Amino acid sequence: MNKKSRTRLLIATGVIVVVFVIGVVFLVQKQGAYYRQVSDLTSGQYDGKNVKVGGKVLDGTINRDAGGVHFTIQDLTGKSQTVKVTYSGQMPNTFDSGVDVVVIGKYAATDGTISADQLQTKCPSKYKAQASTAPSPAAAQ
Amino acid sequence: MLELGRYSLWAALAFSMASVLFLALGMRWDREDLLRNGYYAVYAFFLSTVVAGAVLLQAFLKKDFGFGYVAENSAATLSTFYRIAGFWAGQQGSFLLWLLLIAVVAVVIALIDLNKVERLTGGAVMVLCIVGGVFAALMVLNKGSNPFVAAAPGTTPFGLNPLLLHPAMVLHPPALFIGYVGLSVPFAFGISTLLLGRGDKLWVLLSQKWAVAGWLFLSLGIGLGAWWAYVVLSFGGYWGWDPVENTSLVPWLTATALLHAFTLYKSRGLFKHWALGLAAATFFFTILATWTTRTGLIQSVHAFEKNSLLVWILSAFLIATAAASIGLMAWRWRRFASHDQVESVLSRDFLYYLTDLLLALFAVAVAFGTVVVPLTMNRTVGPTTYNAIAQPLGVVMLALLAVCPLLAWRKTEGAELRKTLILPLVTAVLSVPLWLYLGFQSNVWGFVGLVVCGFAVGAVIQFVLRAARRAAGPERSLWAGMGRAFTGSRTRTAAYFVHFGMILVVAGLIGSNVYKHEATALVKVRAGQTASIAGYTLTYKGMTGNTGPQDSTRSIATFAVSRGGRQIGTLAPHTDVYPMSGAAVRAVILGRPFEDLFVVADDPFDSTSTRIALRMVIFPLIRWVWIGSILLCAGAAVSLWPKARRQQQEARVAEGNADNGDAARPPGATA
Repeated sequence: MNKKSRTRLLIATGVIVVVFVIGVVFLVQKQGAYYRQVSDLTSGQYDGKNVKVGGKVLDGTINRDAGGVHFTIQDLTGKSQTVKVTYSGQMPNTFDSGVDVVVIGKYAATDGTISADQLQTKCPSKYKAQASTAPSPAAAQ
Repeated sequence: MLELGRYSLWAALAFSMASVLFLALGMRWDREDLLRNGYYAVYAFFLSTVVAGAVLLQAFLKKDFGFGYVAENSAATLSTFYRIAGFWAGQQGSFLLWLLLIAVVAVVIALIDLNKVERLTGGAVMVLCIVGGVFAALMVLNKGSNPFVAAAPGTTPFGLNPLLLHPAMVLHPPALFIGYVGLSVPFAFGISTLLLGRGDKLWVLLSQKWAVAGWLFLSLGIGLGAWWAYVVLSFGGYWGWDPVENTSLVPWLTATALLHAFTLYKSRGLFKHWALGLAAATFFFTILATWTTRTGLIQSVHAFEKNSLLVWILSAFLIATAAASIGLMAWRWRRFASHDQVESVLSRDFLYYLTDLLLALFAVAVAFGTVVVPLTMNRTVGPTTYNAIAQPLGVVMLALLAVCPLLAWRKTEGAELRKTLILPLVTAVLSVPLWLYLGFQSNVWGFVGLVVCGFAVGAVIQFVLRAARRAAGPERSLWAGMGRAFTGSRTRTAAYFVHFGMILVVAGLIGSNVYKHEATALVKVRAGQTASIAGYTLTYKGMTGNTGPQDSTRSIATFAVSRGGRQIGTLAPHTDVYPMSGAAVRAVILGRPFEDLFVVADDPFDSTSTRIALRMVIFPLIRWVWIGSILLCAGAAVSLWPKARRQQQEARVAEGNADNGDAARPPGATA
């Protein structure tokens, strides 16, 4: 390969790679949700940040209005802390009181609420072992 | 029968290892007899996997619930079609199917090569047998991965997961696996050519058709998965950037780059390291896909149990693959130096390179977000982040796809380029009224992307016209050249279809993502109650019930759909309650020429419900995604179609001339 054209190609590649990597790292830093427990949220450190928390949906807290579904989840590590969740997306089939869910969204410390943009139901174990729980999507694949 | 299955897996392991031994020694010492013995061992390996597969298949067909795996994934009430699908509904059967496919590919390559016995091919078959051996070992050593384990006494057949009761989901896993296995062939030949230090293009010629076939099936698999998610999963979309979806997209991206790198390697001897690296990366990512899905280390809606032996074996295999590829490439680096160069930015060479670079970066970014971020940073990234990366990159790559075929190799003259770009610019301008009519001015970036789509359509037309003009020559009419433009070169004809299909897919993705809108309504269960979205009005008519699949109880709510006062159809979202697995809501879709109206209940309902939480979503242009995907696959199929004998001879002569007789074998010989 001719030296000059080779250098030019390397520089072009370098610029593209650097710009791309900076962009991706920036996005991940800015938008990546911290995987935390409900009990971690009370410190206030996560105010306004994206968080991903697992929790158990408390009985009698599920409320539906025009703005979506509101419910409260409790810490999964045995602590008593709870957090309110607002969600307006599509409900997973297995969502119900007492189910373990994972929510991802922005946490606001002022009203102690997570505005979730993702809601997943967590199956306690493989679906087939528990005939009573509904299947998790796509066991195949 | 369980014993027969188990023994045949052991036999598959033994025979695959035997062939690896023979082939490795035969390759090392250049001994034809040893290579041939290796091939015979491959036949035995193939036959053992066929026996294992047949045992499992007959168990499903004969409803033999003594097989633990059959009891978990089938039921007496299922139709034959879905009983067969049970084969790959779980982890154990999926591994067996994968093993079987590897054995099929290995045996076909070995059979084709039996008369000639080429070291390069022997090495490739050896690599495939190592891969097969790893899968066989996995099933034999890890009880949770072995399909031939007896059912616990008193197990009631569970049936198939109701969400999988859909033709797309029956075909989706095998399509993915065929894709993965097809794409392991270029890796196998790449490793072999590295071991032998052969920097020529024979390995590309021998593996290209497999790579195209693998790409075709992987595209089909991803498309079917997306369609299934859309019509069955009812989450109001077709792509959720879920880890399992992502890990099947990553090898597709690198495979797309690989196909382009192969073209450059073959025709110009350029970017040989890229071709090798992409072949290895594609294989690595297919194993990573399995690792992510099956080990459950990364949380996903596709839940699987954690299994430590499985994690160990798959992780070790991943590391070994990466180490072997990187080590061999470093060792042989100089032998694969390009004997040509990229002269100008305005050349097809450079844009090919740019396409490969961006596809590779995109793949790495998705893999990084899916695997590295959750494992090392204890964080997760969601659709917002992936979309922020994918949307601008997608539009840039679409522009590359449009312009690239119009440029000349090496260098394009400015005047010539301006002339060829007139038609694409005209179609770009002509597309504007269509996008305005569809109301897409509401988002600037989406609009820009769609105008680029319009540009790309003109570019594809120009691509065809140019080939026709060239084929017609100065004497004949353009029309006469048109036939030749389509029959002349299979690869070029494939490129027309694949590129046009890709434009439709991108336009559909922009339409259905950027311009998607949704509304929810709580509808009282009383005839005449209405809900509305974007000019559509849904009027509740009543509730009926019947029996759905697998003895489920189905409640159906019927709505009349009207637009502008005129009734255009009815939609009947329903809830199925399965005796074994609980309630599931099912979406319904009303297709319109330029958009889909997607309706699903947010909560399960039945005849005792007083209200239905209705979710209505408009997906503009979504059908273009499906139509584009079909064109994409059709295009790839065109390039796989066997050439007529005359063309094959011509190709052989041309290749012989170009490569000092090194590549006397036409690429078609492997197919």
